[in-house]
Amino acid sequence: MSERSPFKVYRKPKFQSSSLVVGWSEDAAQLGPGVIDYLTQRLGGEKFGEIEPEDFFSLGGVRVEDDVAQFPESNFYSCQENNLVIFRSAAPGFEWYKFLNSILDVAEHYCGAKEVYTIGGMVTLAPHTAPRTLLAVASSQEVKDVLGQYDLARDMDYETPPGQRPTLNSFLLWMAARRNIPGVNLWVPIPFYLVTSEDTEARKRVLRFFDERFGLNIDFGDIDHDIEEQNEKLAQARLRLPEVDDYIRRLESNLRLSQEENERLTQEIEEFLREEE
Amino acid sequence: MGVKLYRKPRLRSPIMLATWPGIANIGLIAVDTIREALEAEELGEIEPWDFFYPKRVSIKDGILEALEFPSNKFYFKKTEQTDLIFFIGEEQPSGGEKIYAEGGEAYRIANLVLDVAEKFCCKRVYTSGAAVAPIHHTMTPRVWAVTNNPELVAEVKKYKNTVLMSAIEGREGEGNIVGLNGLLLGVAKKRGFEAICVMGEIPIYLQGLPLPYPKASKSVVEILTRSLGIEVDTSKLDSWAEQLEQEIDEFYRQIPPDVRRQLEKLKHTLHAKPAEPSPITEEDKRKIMKDIDKFFKKRGGGIE
Repeated sequence: MSERSPFKVYRKPKFQSSSLVVGWSEDAAQLGPGVIDYLTQRLGGEKFGEIEPEDFFSLGGVRVEDDVAQFPESNFYSCQENNLVIFRSAAPGFEWYKFLNSILDVAEHYCGAKEVYTIGGMVTLAPHTAPRTLLAVASSQEVKDVLGQYDLARDMDYETPPGQRPTLNSFLLWMAARRNIPGVNLWVPIPFYLVTSEDTEARKRVLRFFDERFGLNIDFGDIDHDIEEQNEKLAQARLRLPEVDDYIRRLESNLRLSQEENERLTQEIEEFLREEE
Repeated sequence: MGVKLYRKPRLRSPIMLATWPGIANIGLIAVDTIREALEAEELGEIEPWDFFYPKRVSIKDGILEALEFPSNKFYFKKTEQTDLIFFIGEEQPSGGEKIYAEGGEAYRIANLVLDVAEKFCCKRVYTSGAAVAPIHHTMTPRVWAVTNNPELVAEVKKYKNTVLMSAIEGREGEGNIVGLNGLLLGVAKKRGFEAICVMGEIPIYLQGLPLPYPKASKSVVEILTRSLGIEVDTSKLDSWAEQLEQEIDEFYRQIPPDVRRQLEKLKHTLHAKPAEPSPITEEDKRKIMKDIDKFFKKRGGGIE
């Protein structure tokens, strides 16, 4: 009996070669899905395949979010004109190796993918008024050298702290490297009090890199508008809530807040942004 | 995916000692103590990526240098008495949701371990874990033993400080060994290996603490070394147990007096030398377990 394939490809995209971009639906400030959805929409991405959920997700029921039942989806989109393959998925709960192999199998064997990019947000104690940095972790020195022409921080040092585990992005990058597919993990530090909301500035930072790298000619007018709107809301929060203003001002002066103050600021911002929606 | 052997030593009908983490890592520490004392050499490993999520990433100067997985290593040692193969798993392949492995992944990894046992013509496999028991931490833990073959029962009965499941009050020879330390017995049976699981007792009120229990590991080491006919220095385990005794005493003092009074009765369970005229009754034991369960909000005594 042959083993059932964990993925379905409805139609084979016509790529000579392509680049794979991966984002996970649960990400700090919705960075990954925000970038992926923007690219898919802007570039006319068409869904051409998926990974079946049964081997990778606990299907004992459904998670309800904002009164709506959620179901794990793992979809592939092709942006033919730009030679981009986009993968958007919930993070699998188990059989990670098989899941990540499935992504690479589809990208490599059906789309001729020659490189892999992952997107992820990471938490920072810096305030939202500080510029967003785009950090890159490359799979090799050659890849790092290629990235030299872009505005990226390429000198990250990191070891997983005790009690924590590496990200799926690191796992995927490692697996791609084993297949000799060059890859890059892209990270943007997100102000901690925006982690459960959105960070439009961070989204633009990643999109700007893809725009340059793939020659996408994106008109950032709509994102700039979103950034302006979010900054305006945060400015309003500071005006109306002196405590919030004080916390952010201290962060802007490179001062640390206590754990309790961090939590208070996060809660205040979350509530304020929710009410403003 | 599979087993990668670094070398192929000639071994004479070796005995395999295999273990994975569990409660207080009693079995893992016991087997690793023997492996270390005998200076066993690395033999090979199970390729981990298909079973485990990575445990550490190392990024240097913007380049992903290494991704480290939980180790699953085989070791070997030739001794005058018998040749040994060790398998020590750093984690159980539990799919990220539980501590203990189950289902397809557990079955596959158990079979890979036994593939190595088969390759080297192992005549027996020992696994080791913990037995959560109504005992007091001042007592010497016994070792519970389960075999996968009725013919081994007579042999196990001769082991010192060891009880069979049938001798445990209220169990009538039945129970459940959770995780790979238990599953391996079953898979070994299916594949025709004789196997014995030895489990060191841990007091019920210590099972949830994030501490090892070297006292029980020592009991397991004593059983294993005697049955293998080898000698191993256990002084490290003694001093480790001594150090931890202080932490355990501290924890014990924090337990509310009424629950502690119940726990004190565990000092007089039937298998220990009673310090009072009459040992604990079955009714007392039931009440103690009920009170402990209520206090610690944990499940009742079990084994893994």
